[in-house]
Amino acid sequence: MMDEVIEQETIVWKGYLACFGNDSCVIQSPWILDGDCVFGADSDHTTLAVAAIQLMQSKGCNLDSINALPDVEASIITMTTGVEIVQASEDETVELSADWDLCISDDARVVICKKDSDLELWQPEGTIEVDADFHQEITSAWQKECNPNHVSQGAYISRQQYDEGAAARLKLLGQELDGKMIWPPRQMDDNGLAIPQASTSLHGEATVESWTKLAPAGAPSEFSFRAPILGGITTVFVRFKQGPRGVFLLVDDEDNNPQIGDQVQFVTRRIYAQEAFIRYGLKCQIVKE
Amino acid sequence: MVDVAVIGAGQTKYGNHPLGLKAMWAEAATNAFNSVDNNFEAKLVDEAFIGSVAFGGAQLGNTAAILTEHSGMKGCSVRRVENACASSGFALRDAMMAIKSGEADIVVAGGIEKMNDLSAERKRYWLGVSGDTEWERLAGLTFPGTYALMARRHFHEYNSNHDDLVNISVKNHMHGFENEVAHIRKEVSFEKAAGGFMVADPLTLYDCCPTSDGASCVILAADHVVREFTDDPIWLKGSGAGSDHLALHDRHSITQMSATQKAVAQAYKSSGLSVNDIDLAEVHDCFTIAELMATEDLGFANRGEGGIFAREGRGRRNEGDVAINPSGGLKSKGHPLGATGTGQAVEVFKQLKGIVEPARQIRDAEVGMTHNVGGSGATCAVHIFGRDR
Repeated sequence: MMDEVIEQETIVWKGYLACFGNDSCVIQSPWILDGDCVFGADSDHTTLAVAAIQLMQSKGCNLDSINALPDVEASIITMTTGVEIVQASEDETVELSADWDLCISDDARVVICKKDSDLELWQPEGTIEVDADFHQEITSAWQKECNPNHVSQGAYISRQQYDEGAAARLKLLGQELDGKMIWPPRQMDDNGLAIPQASTSLHGEATVESWTKLAPAGAPSEFSFRAPILGGITTVFVRFKQGPRGVFLLVDDEDNNPQIGDQVQFVTRRIYAQEAFIRYGLKCQIVKE
Repeated sequence: MVDVAVIGAGQTKYGNHPLGLKAMWAEAATNAFNSVDNNFEAKLVDEAFIGSVAFGGAQLGNTAAILTEHSGMKGCSVRRVENACASSGFALRDAMMAIKSGEADIVVAGGIEKMNDLSAERKRYWLGVSGDTEWERLAGLTFPGTYALMARRHFHEYNSNHDDLVNISVKNHMHGFENEVAHIRKEVSFEKAAGGFMVADPLTLYDCCPTSDGASCVILAADHVVREFTDDPIWLKGSGAGSDHLALHDRHSITQMSATQKAVAQAYKSSGLSVNDIDLAEVHDCFTIAELMATEDLGFANRGEGGIFAREGRGRRNEGDVAINPSGGLKSKGHPLGATGTGQAVEVFKQLKGIVEPARQIRDAEVGMTHNVGGSGATCAVHIFGRDR
């Protein structure tokens, strides 16, 4: 499918490297190991696909639906982007009817292109060599975390509870009441009056009001495999431009020390996994000048 | 309205305790029974309220029933009270209200937690269970993290700094050094506390309380039966409680606790006393920033001046305006979650009775306060005790 190598501008997008053309978008992890493109600490093909669709949407592409193999979490992509993912059923009774294809490579890269179109190879700029031990350890940690036998023995967010909050978590869906935004959604206001259902997403512009970096031993058990490898986890307390505040993990934060007042953007990443179910969510990325 | 007095109070030593749940509770209850001036029997207890998060590996459900049947109180009306770290502060309030309602004359309020019998991995599951699980925990936060967010914001808004927190740590270790029931009986220098291992930036090891095992027990009596047990009761003069949003992001401010403000206002009102009357206060310093904020919320320092209060040593035993955490507080005495609130009451009872170790005695102590916070401030119970009725 991929023919010739072309020179095209590399776009840094949501912590990934991307290339956007008329009928396609290629997006990949910036991390390279022995010449191969590999996932970062909390990415996978689903998070790459979300970022690719968001890039295309930001460029004005009108994507209603995309064909995809079952290697991505369709519900997460649809919830986050509003784009329907058409996945062939095992008995092949479902037809891949969309005009666009989501193609997944063996490495940390996805392509979205018009159905049956040829693709051009692209050499991105800005790749970063990842430490082999780090990559091996973080991959192994995710494998352990995704094991069906990895279960909680204490505080726990069930799949039902996760699903209930997924729209707020993945697309910042909140409630409007008397001209004010409420997020995360609530059942009642401080006066005990019912609040209308969540129907409006926050714009995603937010500022750091506080932050902390938690040492590995202090991290919740959900992060206990990965926190030691990452040297701890950083959380930012942010205020959205529309008023609400929230706490989010910082993405790819090894070299980032946030400052109060920093602007952040939101990216979709893995949060943690239990019982073979990966919880995805938004993480913050400091917007650099 | 019936007045309520404390006629007895006791606890175990806090720390990495060799005893299990039932034995720890029995020890605390026995110490409380034995502290009553005249003869006291467990069978006299009408009601028992026992605070516990049920952290450890022994008994989750019906904790109060198994503990009381192992301490001579079988048959009385019992229940577990759970409000995170404020569990037994609320148990104390519930016990007081049971007497004030006229339904009971003698009531036990207590608390217990066994935290160190778990593996490190299992303990990790429990960290932060009382924060907002859905949003804060999934953002990687346990309580060191939430309090670190408060600390950094307080530094930003009020020009306080980490040295102020170090001063609190040094003071509380100094206060706890002579406390025979304290978990960490070790003084620390300013330099050592300032250079501690970073737990949750900007909070270091010396800003964080330990995870402790322990149990505590307080016996309350209605005014019309008090004299059967003692001529020198400590009166429970005021009580207040409040709650707030569980998640930090839903609160009006993360540099003050409205639950504390509401609770202390109630406690001052119901006691007829004011901040100027308080000689000593056991303050919920699960993290040093919590004490700094509490000194403001309780009225000892003006808003934003908790750092100055700490810097000037105004909470030091027999030196400052008021003795803050003469027991060593959660930082030095320890923090066995469910036991902490009534453990604070044990300290105030003994201080007002003049029976603590001589080196720790607050001079001319007449009025004492306990301030017990649940989690990062979602719940708070404040009590004021006095020698005079």
